[in-house]
Amino acid sequence: MRLVISASPHQRAKLNTPYIMRQVIFALIPAVIAAVVFFKQAAVFLILNCALTAVVTEEIILKIRKKPSQAKDLSALLSGILLALVLPPTIKWWAASLGAVFAIAVGKHLFGGLGQNIFNPALIARAFLMAAYPKMLTSWVKPFSLDAVTSATPLALRKFSHTIMPLKDLFWGNVSGSLGETSAICLIIGGIYLLLRKIADWRIPVSLLASLSIFSLILFWVNPQNGSVLFHLFAGGVLLGAFFMATDPVTTPVTKLGRWIFGAGCGIIIMVIRIYSGLPEGVMYSIIFMNALTPLINIYTKPKSFGR
Amino acid sequence: MVKVREHKLPQHNISTTKYLTPKKAYLPLIQHIGKPARQIVQPEEEVEDGQLIAEADGLVSSHIHSPIKGKISAISDFNHPLLQRSKAVVIEAKEEQKDNFSVSQEKGDYSREDILRLVKEAGIVGMGGAAFPTHVKLNPPKKIDTLIINGCECEPYLTCDYRLMIENTHGIFKGIELIARVLKPKNIYFAVENNKPQALKKINSFISTKKYNLSRMQLKVLKSAYPQGAEKQLIYSVTKRKVPAGGLPFDAGCMVNNVATCFAIYEAVYFKKPLIERIVSFCGDALDKPKNIWVKVGTTVKELFDSGVLSFKQEPKKVIFGGPMMGIAVKNLDYPILKGTSGVLFLSQEADSSSEAQCIRCSRCVDSCPMGLLPLEFVKLVKQERFKDLDNFYLKDCIECGSCSFVCPAKIPLVHYIKIGKTYAAGN
Repeated sequence: MRLVISASPHQRAKLNTPYIMRQVIFALIPAVIAAVVFFKQAAVFLILNCALTAVVTEEIILKIRKKPSQAKDLSALLSGILLALVLPPTIKWWAASLGAVFAIAVGKHLFGGLGQNIFNPALIARAFLMAAYPKMLTSWVKPFSLDAVTSATPLALRKFSHTIMPLKDLFWGNVSGSLGETSAICLIIGGIYLLLRKIADWRIPVSLLASLSIFSLILFWVNPQNGSVLFHLFAGGVLLGAFFMATDPVTTPVTKLGRWIFGAGCGIIIMVIRIYSGLPEGVMYSIIFMNALTPLINIYTKPKSFGR
Repeated sequence: MVKVREHKLPQHNISTTKYLTPKKAYLPLIQHIGKPARQIVQPEEEVEDGQLIAEADGLVSSHIHSPIKGKISAISDFNHPLLQRSKAVVIEAKEEQKDNFSVSQEKGDYSREDILRLVKEAGIVGMGGAAFPTHVKLNPPKKIDTLIINGCECEPYLTCDYRLMIENTHGIFKGIELIARVLKPKNIYFAVENNKPQALKKINSFISTKKYNLSRMQLKVLKSAYPQGAEKQLIYSVTKRKVPAGGLPFDAGCMVNNVATCFAIYEAVYFKKPLIERIVSFCGDALDKPKNIWVKVGTTVKELFDSGVLSFKQEPKKVIFGGPMMGIAVKNLDYPILKGTSGVLFLSQEADSSSEAQCIRCSRCVDSCPMGLLPLEFVKLVKQERFKDLDNFYLKDCIECGSCSFVCPAKIPLVHYIKIGKTYAAGN
């Protein structure tokens, strides 16, 4: 009889990392379907392009770093899909590929790989593309019209033309914007699934959406031109960011209080950028900024242990 | 706290059986927290059932008695489930055995001092697992106003306390009476998890008979969660008081006693019976018939198989002294049951053989930690060998309940790292 000796506990929960990643990918399915419906083959190609490039990049880097393959944990695949969903449908294929390489090589492995990166890989890659190809990243098309009928996003319309899009279009997603951000309802379905399955912590989305709502309500009350609460919730990348980017465990605080602060900070910064800066949208920068603050938040919100 | 699979079903409805005639007994001199007991017998000496063979050494220590009538065959190092090896007295049984402790005088009016003396003489220790000498515990330096009887049994698989609460309710109640006479607490709570309906019914009916001098005792039904039965968590669940970090329950005016300890006190006082036997849960999927058995302290697990009391359905991969969350894996079956052994677990496979992956900082360990710690930081610091920094995250407060390792999706053995950290931090 050969007995195994190991430290307690000798019983473990079933949950594992690939399962978590798979669940997040499942939760993205409604948004992916919406993207394909609205942007047709452009969406299919963009998602496949980013996903494949991300996975291949990761495998190559792991080879170089002499580490075992991590394709099974699905985290690179998820980063690739998320990147595709935050890019404009008309982006050139090579720029999207470059973004995916950047997300994995610089955003993830330069920091040490899975679990070590400070910034959300998909968002940092988008920020990189934004700096490298600003024109490409701000050219939008109307859904169902891939013959490049250019059209401003709802947030740009609000900022530069003072027109507020009908909420109905924002809700269903029949507006221009990044691949995966247009349909509010699809993101809400995916987000609620994530929270109900306890895959993502509820504190960050709740505090993000709450702080954004409160802040936008005040701004709306000051000047209705600023846009209503529902407008700011449904337009742009707020829902995609709140449910799928700000909940990335690696780049967000580990303490409970820290998670509240993280979400609230994102919500406020989004509104500050949207209303008071030259940019129409601020989800990406707000999350990247809070990612940078995360180590500090962790230090200052270290919980008191039981009985102290 | 976390939800764990309970695995209590196969054995929890089966009545307890007995195996009280071991051929040999291996009695480690250290079966309790504190100083090892001092042996007072020599090899070849004959001993009676219940005779003192090792004396408490110093203030925090405990007597050890022979569980059988027999001859001391050796005093040497032997397997110890918690310490690997330790000095033990080995007793070989004589053919004829007799029960020295069946006469009870439940009447008797025992004073506080009588009870404390009898508990000490009986070598009683906390039987929930920690094995702290009970006579020391019952004489705390601060006033206790709340006595909590622990019938939670939150470890999966184990059902020995459950069976005891159903089959020996009277003894437990008499034991609580005795503890109450020593402490004179304002409140007494009998805490049981809500996954034990039969025990709850039994305790409720005993409380309502009013036959016992326990009018202040209330049944406290707690939700089944792990680690609900851990001392500090239990005190908090029942009284909402927090035992200060580094402190003991009496710092919060509380005392927790396991139901099996209460029963042992009852037997010690009314039957003058030392702690030489206990109920042990033998469970796990490798066993043919999981069950609870009254066994003599010192009986080896091997003997239970040799004598046919237990048998395997399939070959075990792992044998664990204690429950699956905090128990200790042993190398073979040649280990003795101690006073604090509540169960032995035989598992046919490893819990999760997948290797340790990278931490994705998902904070599940943080959210599950009953002590409010940041377990992932311990792992990071231990891996970086920054042992001095461990204290900044209150490593000492960790009770090693295993919740963090249990929930970790990256399958990181956090408790393993924490134990390493504690060893090194103590060395610095």
